[in-house]
Amino acid sequence: MIKRALAIITLLIIGYWLAQGLAGVPFGQDKMLVGRYYLEHVKEQTGAVNAVTAVVVNYRGFDTLGEVTVLFIASTGVGALLWRKKKKRTARTEGSVVLTTGTSLLFPFVVLFGAYIFIHGHLTPGGGFPGGATIATAFLLLYMAFVTYEIPHKVFEKTEGLAGMGYVAVGLIGLAIGGYFLFDWIWQTWGWGQSNIGRLFSGGFIPIIYTLIGIKVGTELSGIIDNMLKEGVSE
Amino acid sequence: MNALAIIGEILVLIGTFFYFLSALGLIRMPDVYNRMQTSTKSATLGSLGVMIGVGLWALGSSFGSVAWLTKTIVIAVFLLLTNPISAHALIRAAYKSGIPLWHGSVVDKYHEYIASKTGAENAEETAEEVSE
Repeated sequence: MIKRALAIITLLIIGYWLAQGLAGVPFGQDKMLVGRYYLEHVKEQTGAVNAVTAVVVNYRGFDTLGEVTVLFIASTGVGALLWRKKKKRTARTEGSVVLTTGTSLLFPFVVLFGAYIFIHGHLTPGGGFPGGATIATAFLLLYMAFVTYEIPHKVFEKTEGLAGMGYVAVGLIGLAIGGYFLFDWIWQTWGWGQSNIGRLFSGGFIPIIYTLIGIKVGTELSGIIDNMLKEGVSE
Repeated sequence: MNALAIIGEILVLIGTFFYFLSALGLIRMPDVYNRMQTSTKSATLGSLGVMIGVGLWALGSSFGSVAWLTKTIVIAVFLLLTNPISAHALIRAAYKSGIPLWHGSVVDKYHEYIASKTGAENAEETAEEVSE
């Protein structure tokens, strides 16, 4: 009781303190410094209509590389923590007929939609991470509906590594051509797609990088799901 | 403002009414199964009305393009196909985990079916195997 009261009082003090700190910030007023530059130059500098993905992939591509690394480390960490010589699915109940049929019908559509999200990262909201998460959801559906389902491990783990290496390779080609890491060579040097901004074949290397990230995130999260749904078999 | 926009507005109104009924059913109904029944059905229908209505409304408005209607139809079809499956899975899981029916219920054929397959004593444990 006293513990809970103390916790509530502490939280109230912290909340009041944060509210005091934020009270000085004017709400709804224009306070863009760097943001204005992004908004004004995003089209001719990156070819992307979606300013968020342009910032995430082009202007601050290094952060995205870091995020991809974080996800990779998370996946590897889960794999290392839950490592057993022999592992098996622990599910005992098969889903009902409605569920299995529905899942097998839905699966291609969910994957298709995930691919749509990450391919159109430079045009619509989304990008590699939501698209990849959607694809992983499709595999989670399969895992939930079928007792014996397993992702093809050999293919998935290799694809994951290759996609990650592809991202770095695109960055390194930029280093070779333009002089710095993650330089958008397709847009800046080749000028490819500069006449059709706002269509699918534009946006420099954003769609390419997002396709790689989407594949990587999708396979990675599926791998985490696979690791977590299995238990070691002692024999 | 033309006919399409008016039809769209009416559809959205009907949809929100069904949303309201669905929320009301969540409060009013006595047990899990009845609540699922009311909420999933009327929420699905309400969503369909709202989404198709928004598509038609946008088509009838001055900024309208067919893209809105196309997108809303895609979302509506997806929801129409997935919502019953999720409701089915939820209800089945509720039954399997032993949530009782409302005390006023009269028949429970599923329980009888499981019992006839396995013998009445261990009907709960073996409920999973027979249900395929």
